[in-house]
Amino acid sequence: MDFLQRSLDGLLEAGPYALVGLGLTLGFGMLRRVNLAYGAGAMLGAYLGSWLHVRLGWPALVVLPSVAVATALAGLYVQWLCFHDADRSIGKPQRASMTVSGADAREVVALASSFAVWMQLEQLSVNLLPRHLNPFPDFASTQEWTLGALGLRPDRLLMCLLAVALVLGMTRWMQTSRTGLALRATADHPLAAHLSGLHVPALQRLGFVIACGLSGVAACAVLALEGQVTPMFGMWMLMKGLAAAVIGGLGHLRGVLLGAALLAVVEAHAQALLGPLGRDAATWGLLLLALLWRARVSRISATGGLHA
Amino acid sequence: MLEIQGLACAYGKIEALREVSLSAKAGEVTCLLGPNGAGKTTLMMTLAGILQPTRGSITFEGESLLGLSPAQIVDRGLALVPENRLVFPALSVRENLMAGAYRRKDRAAIASDIEHQLDRFPRLRERIDQLAGTLSGGEQQMLALARALMSRPRLLLMDEPSVGLAPKVVAEIFGIVRKLHAEGTSIFLVEQNVHMALKVAQHFFLLQQGRVTFSGTPADLAEDDVIQRAYLAGSDHSRTAAVA
Amino acid sequence: MRDALCASEPGVGLVIQVVVLCLVALSAWLLLRVGRISLGQQAYFGIGAYVAALLTTVGQWPLLAALLAATLAAVACALLISWPLLRLPGLQYAVATLSVAELVRLGLSGWRHQVPQAGGQMAGPDGVHGFRDIRWLFEHQVGQTEYMLWALLALGLTVVTLLLLARTRLGLAMQAVGQDELLADSQGLPVQRIRLLASALAAAVAALAGGLYAHQLTYIEPAIFDPMLGIHAVGYSMLGGLATPLGPLLGAAFDLGLLEATRLFEGWRMVLFGTLVAAFLRWRPRGVLDEALLQRLSDRWRALGLRRSPVSAVPGPSRDSTLTS
Repeated sequence: MDFLQRSLDGLLEAGPYALVGLGLTLGFGMLRRVNLAYGAGAMLGAYLGSWLHVRLGWPALVVLPSVAVATALAGLYVQWLCFHDADRSIGKPQRASMTVSGADAREVVALASSFAVWMQLEQLSVNLLPRHLNPFPDFASTQEWTLGALGLRPDRLLMCLLAVALVLGMTRWMQTSRTGLALRATADHPLAAHLSGLHVPALQRLGFVIACGLSGVAACAVLALEGQVTPMFGMWMLMKGLAAAVIGGLGHLRGVLLGAALLAVVEAHAQALLGPLGRDAATWGLLLLALLWRARVSRISATGGLHA
Repeated sequence: MLEIQGLACAYGKIEALREVSLSAKAGEVTCLLGPNGAGKTTLMMTLAGILQPTRGSITFEGESLLGLSPAQIVDRGLALVPENRLVFPALSVRENLMAGAYRRKDRAAIASDIEHQLDRFPRLRERIDQLAGTLSGGEQQMLALARALMSRPRLLLMDEPSVGLAPKVVAEIFGIVRKLHAEGTSIFLVEQNVHMALKVAQHFFLLQQGRVTFSGTPADLAEDDVIQRAYLAGSDHSRTAAVA
Repeated sequence: MRDALCASEPGVGLVIQVVVLCLVALSAWLLLRVGRISLGQQAYFGIGAYVAALLTTVGQWPLLAALLAATLAAVACALLISWPLLRLPGLQYAVATLSVAELVRLGLSGWRHQVPQAGGQMAGPDGVHGFRDIRWLFEHQVGQTEYMLWALLALGLTVVTLLLLARTRLGLAMQAVGQDELLADSQGLPVQRIRLLASALAAAVAALAGGLYAHQLTYIEPAIFDPMLGIHAVGYSMLGGLATPLGPLLGAAFDLGLLEATRLFEGWRMVLFGTLVAAFLRWRPRGVLDEALLQRLSDRWRALGLRRSPVSAVPGPSRDSTLTS
């Protein structure tokens, strides 16, 4: 019974992870790049939200879209500075070499660039609100419900439902809308997209900005549970987002749900056995295992593209 | 219809096209021949707007194509069927076709055009909801062609459609090229397969090391042994001599 | 750890810490040379620090021997870890190295091994609180200035070794792998093994840095080797230049110079540094001291200095004419 309760508790924690992983996996799907500034960007948005809430007294309903917009703008900045050449990643490596170094080196440069921005945004956030703890508009935490012998918390459940709704909604929109088709085509094969008349740079920007906006929404949801934001939040988001996204498969939108669920349950048990250090170790450990396993399973691991 | 004058294009410091001048007439199938490394794909990519030339001019129906983005070039009425197909592997056949029509706004006409393409390529109809990455080489070629046609181009560019395909499939593709020509589509074709090209094209150019070294009709081609010299292999030429 | 430097006053202690940072930067640089970005060199820094500290406090080893053993331990770990990791493509590899480094940090955070010392105190790693009382320098009356000179010597030797390495066949092979993996592979170079060697070397350098740092500071804690250390190490290399071991040194000097020279930038240092790195990566991806600059400098050097053979006085053939279209 203990095992089940712990698993259920763990599963309920998956909501935030899925929300956080969604933006990262979407961003990767669009640009074939891991955005290391992901957490920092969302944190900047969250800090701004906190500032708006505390200084200007804005209510939660207005803070949420503000955070999403701020994070989306941060994403625009990251895309401009770090990932601007993503539309040159062609399906086949071109030996005739239009660039100084090969495609691999461009990935490296983009990654390095994004952590440079991580540094920038993290420090900008902390400068905005120098205190360690900053209040964030929150939901009132309700008491536990009971289901037979198991207990469950409705606010966590709500988060999970929100995650599922967002992921499935996003997936559906991608599959059925014209813009969604364009985004998927651009993600799948940028060169073919050029030739079909799609405006690739604009679409990549759009997809990436949507992903970052989603991360802002995720940040709000998560912080609403905590009621406060700290400077550790950026790293936390990156860590959990990466884990959930990689386990579910980078670029696989629905996979993020699976990744988040697995992550959350394993973490819950790890924490019970090894304490809070164990919990974080489980995150990194699972991430590592997922990376190694996926590389073995699919040779085309770095092709990117968006998949439902 | 299409006029290229003194075109040069380089990858960094490596000049792939040195001085290319050629033209394609409306309603005709114009073919560009040339061995590997001559610069044919570079030329096609430049026409499609993917690469920017360093010198020269490209005029289509009187208007310059220089500096336009690939999307704008599709708007002007050129569509490229690229070398190695380049379909969207994770999208279905239907979605590939829809992507090809992206610049168009007329929803109803797009739907009927899709049907039209599926009539033309029955094998694609069979696989309409299959992912394009799972199609065979020949089917992907047809899909790439159909996708390009979805944008209703006035000039269709084809880069080595026969590469890597079985002879039977190649014959099928060229049959379709002939049919398209009969329907009035202008086609600018790049090919290594002289044999097949002779069956469909009205005018030939030869590209060697970034320069156009020959321009003429199929008859001129059969007479001149320039092809033999260019390809350094007698077999292609002797077969064409037998056919012509 | 980077920010611990903010608080230190100018002087010998600072120099040693700069040396240490330069070594970590060189460690990241070695992997960048073979075309891989590692966000986890801080792990070997930590391993080196802990092993060296353990050996000198609990084992009562002499410092030099302990440092040597620490580097060997790090090399062993690197080989073990990098073997599966290097099979991953670049992006995944970077994330994997970050994961490994965090796992190492968390592991060391959870490790308690207290051993009673001569004076009745306990010494050894103490979980999150780290490893305290690393007193070897005090016990053996090694002054700060003397230690600083040893540290500078260590850095100098490392740089010289790397410069010499660049001229050997192995060095050229490493450069080839870093420039174009596919091409190198098709030429028959054992890409995987070369990368493995580079990671082993890199781990050794990082471990040396860790050992030096732990003894200067007299304590080491897991919080010191967090991701930002590794990220700064890579940042220094990318800013300073990938073509020569002097590149990361330039990057480190620049950042620390920015910090020390102007207290104005307090609180904005990372914003500025990050901006510079990102800007450079956009417009000059190989850093300040990139291959092109080095080629120009060496050409000018040759034109000025040696007039041995007429060939060197004539401008060399342009690289591209050797390639036909």
